[in-house]
Amino acid sequence: MREILEPLTRCVERGKVNSGSPYPSDLRGQDGADELTRKALESGVSPQDIMSKALIVGMRHVGERFRSKEIFVPDVLMAAKAMAAAMEHLKPYYKSDALKHRGTIIMGTVLGDLHDIGKKLVGMVVEGAGWEMVDLGTDVPPERFLKALEDHPGSVIGLSALLTTTMVHMEATTYRIKSLNPNTKVIVGGAPVTEEFADKIGADGYSPDPQGAVEFLNIHCVHN
Amino acid sequence: MSRNIAQRTYAFTVQSSELKVNRPLLERVLGYKSGGAPEVVRELIDEILPRVPDYLEPQGGFTILPDGTLTITNDSLYCDGTLFTTGSIISKRLRKSTTLALFVATVGPGLEQWSRKLMATGDMLRGYIVDSIGSETVEQVADWLERKLEEKSQLHGWKITNRYSPGYCGWSVAEQHKLFSFLPEKFCDIALTESALMLPIKSVSGIIGLGPLVKREEYQCSICDMKDCFRRRDEPLEVLDG
Repeated sequence: MREILEPLTRCVERGKVNSGSPYPSDLRGQDGADELTRKALESGVSPQDIMSKALIVGMRHVGERFRSKEIFVPDVLMAAKAMAAAMEHLKPYYKSDALKHRGTIIMGTVLGDLHDIGKKLVGMVVEGAGWEMVDLGTDVPPERFLKALEDHPGSVIGLSALLTTTMVHMEATTYRIKSLNPNTKVIVGGAPVTEEFADKIGADGYSPDPQGAVEFLNIHCVHN
Repeated sequence: MSRNIAQRTYAFTVQSSELKVNRPLLERVLGYKSGGAPEVVRELIDEILPRVPDYLEPQGGFTILPDGTLTITNDSLYCDGTLFTTGSIISKRLRKSTTLALFVATVGPGLEQWSRKLMATGDMLRGYIVDSIGSETVEQVADWLERKLEEKSQLHGWKITNRYSPGYCGWSVAEQHKLFSFLPEKFCDIALTESALMLPIKSVSGIIGLGPLVKREEYQCSICDMKDCFRRRDEPLEVLDG
């Protein structure tokens, strides 16, 4: 199993999508995440092992290297693309319960703020850690978070903001969510957000980087 | 608020050819050393850059405060009846200013629309590179505007300071509304939302000090206490020939 899963981990780490991908050039012509995932399934490796022993490991390395500034946003995006190619093969197993998400996070950029990229980046790394991500987009009022929570009960809420003027909506949104759903965990992030601010508004978690969000989710929000 | 600004307000259209975003610079904007980005990123930059001028509508402008209307304290600026609470980092660096220019600059909506379109189709990497080009290009429009202001100042034997923007160096972005009150409505086709977000998003605004005793500093991030700022750089970016 290792001889199949380790190359798959490397493909995720290096953003090698499929055999047709010209990059990275030293892997040109070789199988990518797409083919290796298919072959792993065909050879009897369980979807859960592919997920937990190859894909999540690869994305965790990516998240950690991004945090330590060894790699940068484009590298994370390439890794996420390779991860997505692998996930195409695994999606059917979620329907049959052979594979389970670790949980669901509903993410959105708060009211008044149109910045999207940072949130998307966190979402990709979180998905790469085995979480389902429901992306509400930008300029999201509290009501839409509440509605999404009704549709996806038990989810964690992730709030993003890039402006000090829109950070205030994090407080109002967190308050509304917690008033109606006291057990719902809320995690916040974005350029001007700090741990102190997160504490002040009653959020449960804060992270300055995507991998920190994953660690918070895995430690504080996994129920099974 | 009504102000007599017409005679002290200048608007410019900037030629795309005057903006120098090239691959080595962009690699550094993306976090890499020049020449150090992965091959795929370098090739995408080379593919995208020639198309960028088609999406640019760079323009900018500034208004200069009437003489004798500026008072600077330890942490704020009192400008023609309006108080800007900039914090001490900015006010300290403007303290020798005789007057101020309040400016805006934009690259227009084209790049952000292109970026969003790419991302919506799942092409996150191209979309991110286009977005980063927008962020860097608008700073270069502001650089261009600074040079224009410098030329005007030199006619009076004056110099200019660096530019300072709401949202940085401890100055609340909410004060952008006060700054815009000094400018004509929809100046340079830039609008401000209630949450002080400029539209087009790839726009910058700020203030620049003018006077015979002010000076420019080459590298500014070291003066700022926002250690996690996403624009923070360990050293100045240079516009490299590429």
